[in-house]
Amino acid sequence: MAEITFDSVTKTFAGNVRAVDELSLHVAEGECMVLVGPSGCGKTTALRMLAGLEDVSSGTISIGGTIVNNVLPKDRDVAMVFQNYALYPHMSVEKNIGFSLKVRGDSKAEIKRKVDEAASILHLEGLLDRRPKALSGGQRQRVAMGRAIVRNPHAFLMDEPLSNLDAKLRVEMRLEIARIQRLLGVATLYVTHDQVEAMTMGDRVAVLRDGKLQQVDTPEELYDRPANEFVAGFMGSPPMNLIRCHARAGADRVELVFGSQSIELPWNYTSSHALPASGLGTVVGVRPEDVTVADASVANTLRTRVERREALGDEILVHLSLDDNDTSSTTGTSSARDDLSRTVSLVAKMGPRMKVNVGDVLFVQASPEHVHFFDATTGQTLRGR
Amino acid sequence: MVGVAVIMLYPFWVVIITSLKSEAQFLGGSGFSWLSWSSLTSVIPVGQEVLSSTIVCSASIFVILLVGLPAGFAFSKLRFRASTVVFLVIVSAMMVPLQAILMPEFVNVTKLGLTGGYFGAIVVYASLGTPFSVFLFTTYFRGVPDELIEAGIVDGLGYLGVMWRLIVPVAVPAIATVTVLQFIQIWDDLLVGLLFIQNTGERPITVGLAVLAAGRTTSIPELMAGSLISALPAMAVYLAFQRYLVKGLTMGIDR
Repeated sequence: MAEITFDSVTKTFAGNVRAVDELSLHVAEGECMVLVGPSGCGKTTALRMLAGLEDVSSGTISIGGTIVNNVLPKDRDVAMVFQNYALYPHMSVEKNIGFSLKVRGDSKAEIKRKVDEAASILHLEGLLDRRPKALSGGQRQRVAMGRAIVRNPHAFLMDEPLSNLDAKLRVEMRLEIARIQRLLGVATLYVTHDQVEAMTMGDRVAVLRDGKLQQVDTPEELYDRPANEFVAGFMGSPPMNLIRCHARAGADRVELVFGSQSIELPWNYTSSHALPASGLGTVVGVRPEDVTVADASVANTLRTRVERREALGDEILVHLSLDDNDTSSTTGTSSARDDLSRTVSLVAKMGPRMKVNVGDVLFVQASPEHVHFFDATTGQTLRGR
Repeated sequence: MVGVAVIMLYPFWVVIITSLKSEAQFLGGSGFSWLSWSSLTSVIPVGQEVLSSTIVCSASIFVILLVGLPAGFAFSKLRFRASTVVFLVIVSAMMVPLQAILMPEFVNVTKLGLTGGYFGAIVVYASLGTPFSVFLFTTYFRGVPDELIEAGIVDGLGYLGVMWRLIVPVAVPAIATVTVLQFIQIWDDLLVGLLFIQNTGERPITVGLAVLAAGRTTSIPELMAGSLISALPAMAVYLAFQRYLVKGLTMGIDR
């Protein structure tokens, strides 16, 4: 067992494409670090560099304090679980799991003992004689895990291991992988594009975009205190509502202007946020679950119209548009004007019993303590970290 | 379908029936006899010739596989400078007909002193068959997921280990395809055997049959019996591997 460190790691492909850009990341011993981001953000490339399957263009990668940039994959003592499992089709489950031990030169008795142990942890005892093609998706996934854990490696590398499973099995295997990782206490780098997987499996989550690290934090911190607009929009399903507006900060209040409507939040943000005193340049963020319906007589609500409703059984997602098209008063940069002139829409999460129909007018408000502010130009949070 | 089957099988039927007649029965048109089969071995050394064909075929195919498998693996899975150009040059060699290079080939092999026994023919057959095998293996291996190779590398294998322990076992259809097609081609070939195997004790069955056909008097039933003996191994090899043949030829198309 060991810790993993990326120190200013960059990967440049032919054509000067920077897949990973100055990535610095530390995975502690026994920690499960999830790398998450949209397709093409460089997360798999980072994983492959750690495995030794891609060269590092600059920077260093260390495993257990040893720089491994020039160490062959077989000598790094890492185990990898691939997206499509990469089981050896001509070998039985037993041989698949024990193959790395055989290559390493372990004795037959030792291989048998370790394979049986791994099979027991993964509940594969009855499947050892089968070939991969005779297994279900979940069983194949467990064999791939078995192949990784049997070596007792320094680190586990997992490249979207659940993406080929159906939704129900994915939930089961998510718990299973988390259980095994905690049981073995091996540093794990887990790559996924699924933010639910990231939130549920990671001790910490690193969010990547265009090869650049956006934020590394615990799932709760990422959700509650996103470092920028991208993280705020990426983590959470449905994503955070991000709306450009005028924000005028006073001593004990913040006025948010959306077209001809405005609300005042009775909250002293100025001590915790670097809000502009007046004018454009602010993106306000509210999670769908923090949007609540209020009575028309309540002050500081926004008048909205229901555009669409999605009943999910345990909740209803209500798509709202601001019942206001008067955006002529906007000033500022042309891009900001363009953003503000779009119809403002937001999503609210409501209880399953809520009576809402398309076309209804709703007055909504947001809990002041759960409102986020971002710089409209840089996208960075205006909260003092 | 039935019509096509009849057209294809009728000559074969004629060969079988004719081989079961004596010369007199063949000319007279009735009766059956094993005479042509029993006299065949006294006319030409059939056993020795079948053995020679087997040795030449097996050794040539062994060399073709030995070169084609690593080359196909390298062209499909490894990144190296000018790989596409080298691949195209090798594959373009498939387009060159044997007859076009036969004489220079003969001169070269003669200069090397290899025209006496099997060795010269094996070199020629292996050289002619390798481009096709490189092409087929490259196409086949392109359909093998890269993750399989990467899993082997992370598990501790080098590229050579990955190829022999992980890739070759899953390439059985491609290996069978190359084996069958090359076996049929080499087994049935007359020209290379005739030119490059000059020791009469080592000549293959096709040369033996040619000698039989070129005699002052040719016994047609004996020739048919010899032809049947010559055809059987190729048919046996085809039947043994035919279930892999289509898979091997189409692998990579539906990627």
